Amino acid sequence: MAASGPGAASTTKAGASDAKDGDTKDVQKPIAALEEDDEFEDFPVQDWTEEDTQLPGGNTHLWEESWDDDDTNDEFSVQLKEELKRVGKK
Amino acid sequence: MDRIIGRFHQCVAEENGTELAKIFSTKAPASSPNFFYDLRRASNAQHIDGEIHYSLTPRNGFSFDSAEVNAWAEVFVNYWKAVGEFIGLEESTDRGELKDGQYGEVYDVWKAFTNSLIKYHSSSVLPFWTIPCLYTALTDLRTYAIKADEQSVNAKGSINFSTGLQDDIVSSVGKNEKLEDYARVLNRVFNMCLQDRAPVEYSRKWGTYFTANLMFKTYFKLNAVSLSKNMVQAINAQFDMPSLYRFPRSEIVTFKYYIGVMTFLREDYVQAEQNLTEAWQLCHKSAYKNHQQILTYLIPCRLITTHKLPTSELLSPYPRLQALFGPIAACIRKGDLAGFDAALFAGEVEFVKRRIYLTLERGRDIALRNLLRKVFLAGGYEPLKEGQTEADLIRRTRIPIAEFAAAIRMGLGADGKLLEDDEVECMLANMIYKNLMKGYISRERAMVVLSKTAGMAFPGTGV
Repeated sequence: MAASGPGAASTTKAGASDAKDGDTKDVQKPIAALEEDDEFEDFPVQDWTEEDTQLPGGNTHLWEESWDDDDTNDEFSVQLKEELKRVGKK
Repeated sequence: MDRIIGRFHQCVAEENGTELAKIFSTKAPASSPNFFYDLRRASNAQHIDGEIHYSLTPRNGFSFDSAEVNAWAEVFVNYWKAVGEFIGLEESTDRGELKDGQYGEVYDVWKAFTNSLIKYHSSSVLPFWTIPCLYTALTDLRTYAIKADEQSVNAKGSINFSTGLQDDIVSSVGKNEKLEDYARVLNRVFNMCLQDRAPVEYSRKWGTYFTANLMFKTYFKLNAVSLSKNMVQAINAQFDMPSLYRFPRSEIVTFKYYIGVMTFLREDYVQAEQNLTEAWQLCHKSAYKNHQQILTYLIPCRLITTHKLPTSELLSPYPRLQALFGPIAACIRKGDLAGFDAALFAGEVEFVKRRIYLTLERGRDIALRNLLRKVFLAGGYEPLKEGQTEADLIRRTRIPIAEFAAAIRMGLGADGKLLEDDEVECMLANMIYKNLMKGYISRERAMVVLSKTAGMAFPGTGV
C-alpha cells in the first residue's frame, strides 16, 4: 500500500541494483559508490509474521568481543612481541 | 467514471480501507494505462461536482446522509482535478520537458485532495476505517514536496549562476519550502489521530504511528531532528494510547529505528542500542536496505555500550558496511592506533555524513585498551613459590611504564617517535579513569600496578 507512491518504485529499484553492484564497486571505492539518500525505506508490506523476521544466516555469532583477536601471528602482533622483548632486556 | 464509482461502492460495502486507498492512486493501474485519460474525459470542470453528487445517491446503492455525500463528492472532485495534473506531469516527463514549478503545482493539487480527507476525518464525517486513504495521500504528498523543492532549488541554482553572489541568501531561505509546508499538514493529521476520543476499536489513534513515522522521516530530511522529540513526548503523554506492539510490524520497526537514531544522536547509547536492536530483530528478512540502515547506527552504538564489534558473518552480506566499518574494526581488534587514525581519516566524509564520526572516534579508547591488554598478556605469570601449583598461577600485575610506552609508540607508527613519557602516563591515567583498566600508577617505581583479582585488570575482557 505504502509503495504506491510516485517515487516508491524508483527507490526500490535503486536499492536493489545498489545491493548487486555493491560487491564489486563498494569494496574498491566506497565513497563514490555510496548513495546520496540514506533513508529508511517504506516496507512493501504492512505486517508480517515472526517467521518473516528470520534472516537466512540466523542470529548466531553476529557480534564478538573487540579484544578477542585470534590472529596473534599477524605482522602487527609479531612486531609488538619483539618490541616488548627489546624493552624487557634494557 | 462508473467503474471508479463501482469499485468505491464495493469498498464502502465491505469497509475495506486498504482497497479504498488504491482507488485514489497517483498512478494509473498497470492493467489499464489509459485509466486517467478515460477518467478526465468522462466529465468536465463544470459538471463533475453535480455528476458525483448524482452518482452517490441510493439509486446506485449508497446509503449516505447528505453530509457524507458532500464529503465524498469533494474528495472525488479534488481527485479528479489532481488526475489532470498527473496526466500533465506524465506527458512532460515522457517528453523530458518539465515546466518550471510543475512539481509544485502537482503538490498543490494533491495537497488540496489530502486536505479534503483531513477535513472530513477531523469532523468524523468520514469513518475511521477509511484512514488508509490518508496514509497513501500523505506518503505521495511527501514525494511531491521533495521533488518540488528539488526542482525549485535547481531552477534557482541556474539563476544564481548567472547573477552572481547576492542571490545566495535568497536561495538558502525557502530551500525546503514545500517540505516544510508538508510538515505542517502532517502535524495536523498527527494531532487529529493522537487526540481522537472515539472508543479504541473505532479510533483514529491507530493512525498515530504511521503519521509519526512520516514526521520522523520529514524532520530528518529537514535537518530538524530535535522537533521529533516533542512528537515522541506527545505520544508518551497519551495515557490511553494502545501499546506500540499492537500496531503493524512495519510501523513498529520504523518507529524503533527512528527513536534509535534520535537517541543515538543525543548520545544516549543505552536507549539507542535497545531500540535499534529491537528494530533489527523485528525487521522483515528481505528489507536489505533497512537492515543496512539499522546496522549503520547499531555498530557504533555497540562499540560504546558493550565494546563489541560486528563479526564477518554479520558484515558479509553488506559490502557497503564492510567498506565502512571493516578497516576500523580490524584496527580496534589489533590495537593498531596508527591504523585506527588512518581508517577514521579515510572514512571521515562518510562518517560525518551519517553522523557517526564522533561516536566512532571514541572507539580509539577501545583500540588503546586492546593494545595495553596485549602488553599485559605478554607479561606472562609471576614465578611459582614453593608449594604452589599451576592453579595458583597469577599474571604479572606490575608492568613497567616503559613497556606500555614502547607498545603505544609502536602502535602509533611514525607519530609515536614524538610521544613524550608524560603523554604516555596521561593516556594510562585516562584508561584507569574510564575504568577500561583497573589499577594505579606508581610514579617512583615507574610502574603500573594492575588489579590482582582475576579478570579485573582489564574489566570485561577475561583478564
